[in-house]
Amino acid sequence: MAATGGGKTYSFKVVLLGEGCVGKTSLVLRYCENKFNDKHITTLQASFLTKKLNITGRRVNLAIWDTAGQERFHALGPIYYRDSNGAVLVYDITDMDSFQKVKNWVKELRKMLGNDICLCIVGKILLLQTRFSGGAIVVVYSYAESVGAKHYHTSAKLNKGIEEMFLDLCKRMMETAQAEERLKGNGASQSASSRRGVQIVDDEPQATPTGGCCSSG
Amino acid sequence: MSQRRAIHVDPSELLCTKGCGFYGNAAWQGLCSKCWRDENQREKQKQIQEDWALAERLQREEEEAYAYRQQRTQPHSTPIKPLSKLEERKTKEKPSRVNSVTKLFTAKTPSKKDVSFDAHSSPSPSSSTGRHSSADSDITTKEFIDFLKPLKSGREIFKQCRAFTESMIYKRDIEVDEFSECVQDFYQNLSDRLLTQFKGSSEHVESVMDEVEKYIMIRLYKDVFCPETTDDEKKDLAIQKRIRSLHWVTIEMLCVPVDEEIPEVSDSVVKAITDVIEMDSKRVPKDKLACVTRCSKHIFNAIKVSTKEAASADDFLPTLIYIVLKANPPRLQSNIQYITRFCNPSRLMTGEDGYYFTNLCCAVAFIEKLDGPSLNLSPEEFELYMSGQASPHWPPPTAACSSATGSAALTQVNQSMDLLTGLGVRQERVLEKARQMESDLIDWTDEVEQKVQSVLDSLPAGTPELPVTTDSGTTPTAASSAIDSDNVENELLPPPLQPQVFAG
Ligand SMILES: Nc1nc2c(ncn2[C@@H]2O[C@H](COP(=O)(O)OP(=O)(O)O)[C@@H](O)[C@H]2O)c(=O)[nH]1
Ligand SMILES: [Mg+2]
Ligand SMILES: [Zn+2]
Repeated sequence: MAATGGGKTYSFKVVLLGEGCVGKTSLVLRYCENKFNDKHITTLQASFLTKKLNITGRRVNLAIWDTAGQERFHALGPIYYRDSNGAVLVYDITDMDSFQKVKNWVKELRKMLGNDICLCIVGKILLLQTRFSGGAIVVVYSYAESVGAKHYHTSAKLNKGIEEMFLDLCKRMMETAQAEERLKGNGASQSASSRRGVQIVDDEPQATPTGGCCSSG
Repeated sequence: MSQRRAIHVDPSELLCTKGCGFYGNAAWQGLCSKCWRDENQREKQKQIQEDWALAERLQREEEEAYAYRQQRTQPHSTPIKPLSKLEERKTKEKPSRVNSVTKLFTAKTPSKKDVSFDAHSSPSPSSSTGRHSSADSDITTKEFIDFLKPLKSGREIFKQCRAFTESMIYKRDIEVDEFSECVQDFYQNLSDRLLTQFKGSSEHVESVMDEVEKYIMIRLYKDVFCPETTDDEKKDLAIQKRIRSLHWVTIEMLCVPVDEEIPEVSDSVVKAITDVIEMDSKRVPKDKLACVTRCSKHIFNAIKVSTKEAASADDFLPTLIYIVLKANPPRLQSNIQYITRFCNPSRLMTGEDGYYFTNLCCAVAFIEKLDGPSLNLSPEEFELYMSGQASPHWPPPTAACSSATGSAALTQVNQSMDLLTGLGVRQERVLEKARQMESDLIDWTDEVEQKVQSVLDSLPAGTPELPVTTDSGTTPTAASSAIDSDNVENELLPPPLQPQVFAG
């Protein structure tokens, strides 16, 4: 498998974590289906959504796993984020308790998956309630930096910051996957690591957008 | 441009390449229609023959492998005596019944015919079961071959899968985790090779791998589903018991957002339950997963109809827990373990099926660890419900009930309680009376005894020795004794009358 081969498809699993009602569902529905508080729901479910991306000529399949955020399901976290490549941790910037929850998850994720997982901490902005102080933002940013996460402010309602956040996450996941590839090189441990979730798939050369009949979408 | 060039082509180039003199056609690879048909026929024939040869060879190899396996299991079968004994009994039972039936009909023809019956019928049960399973895998083999046929490397893939499966059958005594590791390595190596060597697209590779999984796992299922070397079966029974003891858990406790009053919702709930139960009946990991996915889709529908919203994980997981509690699916842990060990990894890791399966694992983990607080109950309430001393449907009078139905239930409970108390009191009274009666009876017999004694005492001494004088029999005991005793006074009676003959 040539490292500099043409098209490769990456498949990434991203878990969505956050307390109830911080806006996880809104975030992912906006990103994957470009919908917000849609009364004419055509979507059956918003628990498992996928998105296909093309980043610098590489195809990326994102699978976004929603998780049950209620406190009584907290212990189930590790079952959800096994083998995940990325995590999006959502909190409400007007509710510092929800940020504390994020900190707990970060600790757990790092303990379980080490640096293999790329983290995004997302503060949901509610334009109607701008009671947060600039000081709080400094705290949040420095925390994110200290745990190797990127921080974003997003609004599902205004569709702000969401594309950027996921794009950056994908780029970092690709870097991690490539680093892992280089590390194993022509090693024999290939099967073990690719079984861990990063799947690298050679594309057939003629698979250009014009050639597809129904495969694109 | 190209069109114009075609016009100026030398006519001889348009002739059939076979040289028959007719014009050829590019669509027929430069042949005329007749030669093309012939050629095509030959090609087809060749392919059919090749297929035949392949199928025949496979059949032979299958049979050899099967025979080898039978051979190998023969010495092993000694510890599994009960089974062979059972079979023996079965085969013995059958002819004996036949015997009696034939005897009924052909009473005159003796055992000779029955013996031949015996000889014929005894081998049939075992051979038919053997044929059944091999026929099953024959079908999958055939389907697998049919699927691989159009692929350039189909034969190669088949050969590898077959060789791998056979090698695994001989390894089935190893630890199941090691076994799983082997299968997973095989999946990984094969899909890696398919991707590079055969330049397949990932979707294409996936579809081949699905068939590979099916072919391999149908064969290995018996040996690796709930294997004896693990405690899977124990875990199955434990979770089954646990779910049974949680029968009292309500929709409200789990915060399940479905309204079963709506017909479409209750219909979806029933379908979801059916699907998760059906998982146990499938043998291929992918088919088992598909049951979980179908179950999940019905759950989503139930949620969507109830809440008018697309279900998020916050809604989905509690509902799935509720469905699992209601369904109590057979061999739940074995099925989860089997899927985890032998499913195609890419399907489990990032695919949609994998998401639903992960939620099922979460549901089971939650049910195992479930306690009062996770149902918004106090530990005491939880204990009461678990022990069956109380039920959320019939709360104790101290429990506060806000809803109308709750208070209605409460009054009903109170009425029942009153009734029970009343019955208890009455039973007490009955018991009391019975005790009274018993003591009365004892008193009465004492009294009678006393009276008899006093009467006996009042009689002059020695009289008991003179029963002779008793012709009136004042006491019943004396009279009866007189009757029962031998006729001691016979000699005192006049001699019996003798028949006398009167002349005349
Ligand atoms: N104004 C505004 N409201 C939002 C935004 N994201 C979510 N909400 C609202 O917050 C509530 C909870 O959102 P939801 O996505 O269900 O949160 P979840 O429980 O974390 O999935 C809903 O009423 C949303 O309409 C946002 O970016 N802006
Ligand atoms: Mg949600
Ligand atoms: Zn010709």
